[in-house]
Formats: sequence, C-alpha cells, structure tokens
Amino acid sequence: MILYDYALSPDCYKIRLLAALTGAKLTLRAVDFHPGGEHRSPAFLAINPGGTIPVMQDGTLTLTDSAAILTFVAAKSGPAWLGDDSPEMRARVAQWLAFAQRLSASIGKARTHDMLQKPADIVACRKAGVQCLREIEAALVERHLTGDAFLAGNRPTLADIACFPHSMLAPDGGISVDPYPAIRLWTRSVRALPGFIEMPGIHRLHDLKPEPVGVPE
Amino acid sequence: MTDPIRDEWYPVALVSQLGPEGRDTRLLGEPVRVAWQDGAIIVTSGGHTLPSQQRYGHVWACPGTPARPLFDIPEADQPGRRLVDVGLVRVKCSPLRAVENFLDIAHFPFVHTDILGAEPHTEVGKYDVAIREEVDEVWATKVHFYQPQAAKSAAGGITTEYMYRVPAPTVSILYKTCPPRPGEWDVITLFVQPLDEELCEVWPWMALFDDDTPMTDLIHFQQTIFLQDRSILENQLPHRLPLDPGMEIPTRADLTSIAYRRWLKRRGYTYGAQLVAA
Amino acid sequence: MPDWTPVALLRDLPPLVVMPVTVDGVDLALWRSASGRIAAWADRCPHRGMRLSHGFVRGEALSCIYHGWSYAQSGQCQRIPAHPDLEPPEAIRVPVHHATEAGGVIWVALDTVTTAPPALAGVQPLRSVTLDARFDPASAGLTESGGAWRGTLGGVAVAVLVQPLPDNRCALHVLAESKASPTDLVAASRGIETLRRQAEGVSA
Repeated sequence: MILYDYALSPDCYKIRLLAALTGAKLTLRAVDFHPGGEHRSPAFLAINPGGTIPVMQDGTLTLTDSAAILTFVAAKSGPAWLGDDSPEMRARVAQWLAFAQRLSASIGKARTHDMLQKPADIVACRKAGVQCLREIEAALVERHLTGDAFLAGNRPTLADIACFPHSMLAPDGGISVDPYPAIRLWTRSVRALPGFIEMPGIHRLHDLKPEPVGVPE
Repeated sequence: MTDPIRDEWYPVALVSQLGPEGRDTRLLGEPVRVAWQDGAIIVTSGGHTLPSQQRYGHVWACPGTPARPLFDIPEADQPGRRLVDVGLVRVKCSPLRAVENFLDIAHFPFVHTDILGAEPHTEVGKYDVAIREEVDEVWATKVHFYQPQAAKSAAGGITTEYMYRVPAPTVSILYKTCPPRPGEWDVITLFVQPLDEELCEVWPWMALFDDDTPMTDLIHFQQTIFLQDRSILENQLPHRLPLDPGMEIPTRADLTSIAYRRWLKRRGYTYGAQLVAA
Repeated sequence: MPDWTPVALLRDLPPLVVMPVTVDGVDLALWRSASGRIAAWADRCPHRGMRLSHGFVRGEALSCIYHGWSYAQSGQCQRIPAHPDLEPPEAIRVPVHHATEAGGVIWVALDTVTTAPPALAGVQPLRSVTLDARFDPASAGLTESGGAWRGTLGGVAVAVLVQPLPDNRCALHVLAESKASPTDLVAASRGIETLRRQAEGVSA
C-alpha cells in the first residue's frame, strides 16, 4: 500500500495512525504540498485529478478519499476497526466517516489558513468548526451516558480515527478545544491506544511513561 | 536618526515560491508588497521602495536604512550542500520567542520526543556562550545532546554537537553534527519575519550534506520539528519576550537565552519584547 | 468577597488529567493526581511562561510540557530534567489556589474562604457546557434554591451552576435528579443544547 503523504496533513495522519494501530505496512511517498504545491503538478494530477491528499495506491487500485482509504486499510489489516458489531455501530461509523469531511472543510481549512496562509473565509470556517466540535462533544456525552467510551460504541473504530485528528488540532486554526470535557477525555483514550503515533500538534501522553529515576550514563 | 529595529534585514518571501502575482505581507506592522518588476524582485511599502536583496533562498528587505550588510553564512556557497527551502509557517507569538525557542535544547525530549530527544537523556551539560563583540553576534558552542534521530539521514541515536549563532535579532543559525560527513556541520536556520509584535512568519532554511534523502522528505522533517514547537510558542505568557529578569526563571541550560535577551536589550531591540515585569 | 466558583464536574477530571479553567478572569491549570488529589494552580510555568494546563501528570506531580519541570502538590518545583542532580531553588514555585470537591462538582477559590461550597444532594452529574453568551437563569425558567438554579430540561429535573467567563461567556455545570435513567439523561443533555441555542440566539 503506497500512501501519498504530507507530514502536516490530518487526513494523511489518519491513515498513518490506523496503519500503526493495525500493523499495516505503508510505503510513504512524501508530497511537497507546502511550499512546493506538488499536489497541483501534472505528475500528481495524473494520479489524482482532484489534486487532493491523501491518495492510496495498491496494485491497480487508486483511492483518493480518506474515508475510503481508512475503510480499505481496516478491511485488509484490522477488520475490527470497521465496527461491524451491530447495525447501529456500523451505521454510526459510516456517519462519522462522512462527518469527518465537515471537520476537514471547517477546522482543516482554518488550520491551513492560520498556519500556512492558504486562502479561506476564516470567520466562517471557525464558526463551522465550533459547531462540529459541539456536535462531537454532545455525541460523546450521550455515548458516555449509555456506557460507551468511543464515538461508535464501546470500543474504538474508524469513527474515532476519522474525527480525532482535527478535534485535537483545532487550536492550530484559532479554535479553542478548552470548552469540551468529553472531547478531552476521548482524545486521551485514543492517545492511550497501544501503537498510537503522534503528529505535529498532537503530543503523546507523557504521563504513560514513568518519571525517570537516576541519571543515565 | 537610526532605529535599531527598522534598520535590520528581514525575510519577506521565498524566491522560488514568488509567483507573478507577488506577495502582500507585513513587516513591523506595516503593509509590504513583494513583486516582480522587469525580471527583478522589488519590495515596496507605503509607496516607497525598500532596500532589498536575494540571499539564502529568500527575499530580504529593510524598512529603514540598513545598519550593516546582511549577515554572512559562508556554508551557503560550499559545494556539495543541498539548500532546502522549507517554506513559511505563521505563528501567533512574538518573533523573539520564536528565535529563543530555536536556541533551546532542553525541550527536545518533551516536545520533539524520540526525534531530537528522549527521556531519560534530558541532561544539558555545560556549554560555552559569548557575545562576540567583533561581529556583534551571540554564539553558543560545545553544546552536546543525545538524540534518537538527529536528522533525516541519521539511522539511530547519537550524541549530537551543536553550535548556535544569532547574527540578527530575528535570525538564528544552528550548526550541528552531520551524520554522513564527519568533520562538517549541517546548517539549519530560522529566519523570522516580524509581522507584528505578537505575530510572525517563520522561514526555516537548511544547507545540508545529504545526497540520499529526497528533498520533500527533508522539508517534511523540518516542518514536523517546527510545527511541534508551534503549539508551545502560541501558549507562552506573556506573549512578548521578557527582557528584564524577574518575570521568568532561567537555569544553566538557558545560558544562550540569557545572552540573547541581554544582547537584544543592549542593542535596543525591543520589538516583540516586554521590558518591565508585569 | 472571595467565594467558591464551580469550574468542572468531578467526572470530567479523572486522575492524571489537567485542564484549563478561568476563575474571576484568572487562568488556572486544574489537575488531579494519581491518588485523586485536586489542585488549581496559576496556568503558567515560572521557567518560560508555558501554560501548565498543556502539561502532564505523573504520580502526585504536574509537569510542564515544554521542558518537563515538575511541581509537587505545594507548587514547589521538585525536578528540572535538564539538571537531574540539581535540587530546584525554593524560589521556583507555582502560585497555588484553593480547590475542593463537593457533590460531584469541583469548586475553586482564588483566596481563602471561610464557607464551604454548597453540596448538592439528590443529583448526579450530567455535563458542563460553555455558552458564547451571558446566561440569565431566570429568563430560562430556572429558580434559585439551595445554592443552584433549579428547573427541568428535557423533562428531567436539573440543578444548574453558572460559572462566569471573560468576554461575556459562561459555563454551565448541570446535574440531574438522581433517579433519572440514561434515557432521561440523554433527553436532558439535548435540553441543554436547546438552552444554549436560545441563550446564544438572544444575545446575537
């Protein structure tokens, strides 16, 4: 599986994170999204005419949508992440995979605007981003009230992987995550998963490691 | 009358990324335009053309009267080095906080975990710091630190040696052990464009000995490092760099930062600084 | 006169968690140690001014994310990783405020208060929400009783504590009657969303 990747892209990170959690082997091809704008180059457009990242190639298969790529990686390497325990869980996973597009269009755009000076209607993006975070918070509260710790049920699924990165990176786009206690605890749960990897702006949980005693040689 | 803030050189654009549409930006709170004109790049502000030049991949401009030539990086012209335009990152912080963070190594194990540092290898040993009067620059030398992955080209953990140099108030250059070429130094810079006192655009740039790593991987490596710093820089209080002692408590590991603050104050460079403890 | 301010529900601050809260316009890092102790500190590391609410908790100490300086319950710096053998000077200390738990709610006071915060009885924690608007409990149909605003949301009896925030914002900490079932609580949570939309709509 070849992933056309950008280190700072939350949508690319989702794929890397799922691969790390499932043990899937990815071959990374770094795309010079910034500053080079390689995603608009003729060579890249020949791979994905939409000019977006991430892109996955596996044999003759080319996938250009992050939800589809997540589904593919999970189906191949970690079917449990598809969330097929029940019709409800499966539908929730599908719903959050679609919802993640709203996160990319709001928080994602606010972030590339504030960080990399990409064009955006920043006021509208932030407003939509706050609305998205409020919806995730409310959903997590309801899941907790019925005994579940994750977005689609009582265990992590693609729903969590799809929505986790932008939920943590909102401050990069000037959107505070302080008002969301349920999101705070949920993102901690995701970061505590065995095999978790980080990206810039998403720190690992240093509290999982004991305080060093003594001085190394 | 000279103004130590206006008479400095500042980066305002990446030459390789300056399209025909030019770039509208800001410098010290003033609108600035960088544009092509008859095959040359000119920088204008308020109807005036500013002194400008192209060097180290970037366009440099001076809002006032240049007090001295742009600092020299001799390694930039050394054959065999690859010059890496990392591209801008905007940060809501004082330009001086951005420079100071770049001079700091003690944060590596916590902010750049498993790349530039890792617990329990957190100790910062003694190193030398001096304000070199003859060139009016801050230098730190003999800085050693254990690093799990010091560079894209590093295969495993090594103790890296660093030298830091501040040749201008918003510029920092670091020289670090070059894994494929013992005896040479990799050069990694942070060129900071002050938009306002609490907002800056940072232009990392590198001159490396590394013939193997694809250029995009080099860019991503450095962007990864800097973006890990960004969430720190946007959450320091006060937002402006305190130049007077009392507001913040340094230790021996912070000698470079102490010298940098002292040097800024002595030069009267206060843009993005806080002078009296609040 | 100093008084207790409700800042969070205890359930939202399990051990090893740190979060930012604001009391009387002062930014604080609210955190809970491994053994469950709650503390509210100035949200600023004395070293380089980094917000401690971005930090991490190990055992009974809070560490700054920037350089890993760790602080004991007293606020005193106990370890500087850059100098593992150094005993940190006493001057390196984070200002500590008062924090306590009562009835599933965490309360903070910047200065010493002689009274205890109200312990709400017969309720269970529901959720905290932040409003980008002022909140007038009376116009929302709530009445004050026993240290909280009482009323019904989504058909469930609730007690609401109001925490004023800067910029005309506020947080509501909502508890529901003990006998409410999970289904009732979901309805009450949706009632809070409606309440927020109304409050923000009026002020817009």
